[in-house]
Order: sequence, then structure tokens, then C-alpha cells
Amino acid sequence: MDSDREEIERLIAKVAMGDRAAFEALYDRVSAKLFGVCLRVLDTRAAAEDAMQDSFVKIWNNSDRYQANGLSPMTWLITIARNTAIDRLRATRKGHQDIDTPGLELAAPGPSPEQSAVAASEAKRLTNCLDDLEADRGAAVRGAYLDGDSYADLAQRFNVPLNTMRTWLRRGLMALRECMSV
Amino acid sequence: MSDTPITPPEDDDLLAAEMALGLLEGEDRAAARARLMQDRDFARSVADWQERFVAMTDDIAPVAPPAKLRRALMARLFPARQVPLLQRLWLWQGVSVAALATVAFLALPMLREPPMQPPAEVYATRMAAEDSALELLAVMDMSRGDIALRRVSGDAPAGRVLELWAILPDRAPISLGVLPEGEVNRVALPADLAPEAAQITLAITDEPPGGAPGGVPTGEVMAAGAVAEL
Repeated sequence: MDSDREEIERLIAKVAMGDRAAFEALYDRVSAKLFGVCLRVLDTRAAAEDAMQDSFVKIWNNSDRYQANGLSPMTWLITIARNTAIDRLRATRKGHQDIDTPGLELAAPGPSPEQSAVAASEAKRLTNCLDDLEADRGAAVRGAYLDGDSYADLAQRFNVPLNTMRTWLRRGLMALRECMSV
Repeated sequence: MSDTPITPPEDDDLLAAEMALGLLEGEDRAAARARLMQDRDFARSVADWQERFVAMTDDIAPVAPPAKLRRALMARLFPARQVPLLQRLWLWQGVSVAALATVAFLALPMLREPPMQPPAEVYATRMAAEDSALELLAVMDMSRGDIALRRVSGDAPAGRVLELWAILPDRAPISLGVLPEGEVNRVALPADLAPEAAQITLAITDEPPGGAPGGVPTGEVMAAGAVAEL
């Protein structure tokens, strides 16, 4: 697993130098996972294909900023794909605003991946912790992350006022953080 | 700055979570974006939440994307082959501006390729030698399989002819024929040399009328130049 991570980091570093062969190798290595994520978020295959192509264009254009964003390499790559897919999903909805991805718009120098406060083992507990949340709250966090639901969408789905929804979800996030850091 | 409301760290971290989920809208979002650019701790909080949330993709199975997607992506990112030939000529650092203008002239027929057809590889060189007034510009167009030559200066010694050679590593010089009279010529490039085109050095020797006997160069090298890709 660690050698996998090192290899992907090495490829991103080479891509940052404009190494086209490294970019193709990176594509061959991670595109299936990223395509799976795009397919999960978007309804149609065509939309998922577009989102993935856009994701890799962002990866090519922003790889030189990867080192500064503090994310592990797969998190960075998957987050770009997830955010790009959600942006595309939301583009069809009213009042759409793009999601920011660290290493794209984000400029403040973050921690290096090694310094990140969130260890991989901690992140692995997420799924269990989500399941420990009251069912609705877990579903709301999943809905926001995987379906791009806004607070308004969630409020409608759970049939509560907007402000209640926000308070509700924030409590869920606090519980989540606590559960994961135990 | 002094009237910025002090928010407890707790709230900051939840704001970071909302940012990572993409839940912020309007002014809240604009403010959080601005902080993301300046506030290292806040940026770290957002990154930490990204790291946590990404686990929601753990059980998403990889799906091999169609091969056409890879081709489309590479064509979108690396369109170098579609740069017009004239532009490629100006980018080429090998020769002077005046010489480039002549090469561009030589390349003109190549510019009339149908635009949708991806331009083939094009190589060029300036051929010259010390102690020789002979100077030529050559453009090898792989889509046509020929070499366009323009004589800039110099001529064959009296009673001799100029013969063109392709020089490749570890191989005997390959004759490309005697140059006809005239300032501009086109000479066919043998198809079997195409795969090694990038390594070719073009050279010109003076030979007896009719060309080098036995296909082996006998005269002086009057001009030579290694090709470079345009």
C-alpha cells in the first residue's frame, strides 16, 4: 500500500515537471478508480466520461501544486474527480457554484501529506462512524458528498427547515469527527 | 481586521467540513474561499476533512474507462502535432530568420494538407561545411516521403556533380541520388528510412558525373547537417 502511494506520488511529481509519459502512466494507474467515482456521482455514462476527462485536465494543469495541498495522493486525485463530477451534476441545477479543491484554487500552503493530522487509519474508520450516526445524519453526509446535495436539497429530503437541517448536519459532523479520532 | 468576529475553533472546523462537502453558498462560501487562500490552519482543516470524506469512495468499484476516452484526453492535452507547420518553423532554433523564411517557402506545399488530417512529422536541417561555399536547406516531410531542398549558395566544382546521402548510425551512407540542377529540388526519401528519420544526417559530396560509382561516396563532404524535428 505504501509503495503504491509512493509510486503515485512519484508520478505526480514527474507530471508536475511536464512529463507526458508519467501522465499516461498515472492515467493507466488511477483512471479506473476515478471513472468509478464519476459514474457513482453522475447518472449518465457520457456525463461521467466528460467529468473524468475534465478531472485529468485539472490534474495535468495543477500537479505542480499537489505538494502544497497536504493531501495524500489518492485523496487529491479522487477529490478532484468527485468535485468535478459534482460540479457537473450541479451545473444543471439552479444557483450552481463550483466546489473548491485543495491544490486547485486553494493557495495557502498546507501541511505536507506526512504532516496531515488525519492518518489514513483514521479515515478508514469513517464508514463505521457514519453508520454509528443517527441514520438520517449519516445519510445526509453521504448525500452531500456523493450526490452533491445542498442544504436546501437535504432540508427538502428530510422535510425540515433549512436552519434546522444545517444545525442537524453540523452536529452529525461533530459526532463524526469525535468518533473518527477515538 | 479588528472587527472580524472571533469564531471559536470548533466552528471553524465545521465550516471547513462544509467547505469540503460543498455545502457553503453565497457570502459564506466567498468568505471561506478567501480564508482558504490565506489561513493555513483553515486550509489544513479542509484538507483533513477531504481526507476523512474520501473514505466514502472506498467501496466504489473501479470501472475501466473506454479506450477512446484516453485518446480524446491525450489529444486535448497534447495537441502539439496539430500546431500549424509555419508556427513550428518559427519555433525552430536551428537557423537564422532568413533561412527559416526559405524553409517555410519549401514547406508551403505541406501547408496545404487537409486541415483535419493530423500533420505528419516534419524534420529540417541546414546543410553546410567548413571550407565550402555550398549551403542548402532541407525539409523532410514524412507524410509525403520526400525531402525538399533549397540551395542557398555554392555549386558543384567544375566537372563534378552533387550527390545527396542519408547517414545513419552504424550504417554505410545511403545514396539519395544526384541533385538535379536548379535552386529547389525534391528528392524521394526511401520508405525504409522513415522509422529512423529523426536520426538522419543529410550530407552532400561531390562525385564524378553520373554519381558515385558503386553507390559509395568518393568525393569531399561539401555540406552536411543533422535533421531536427519541427
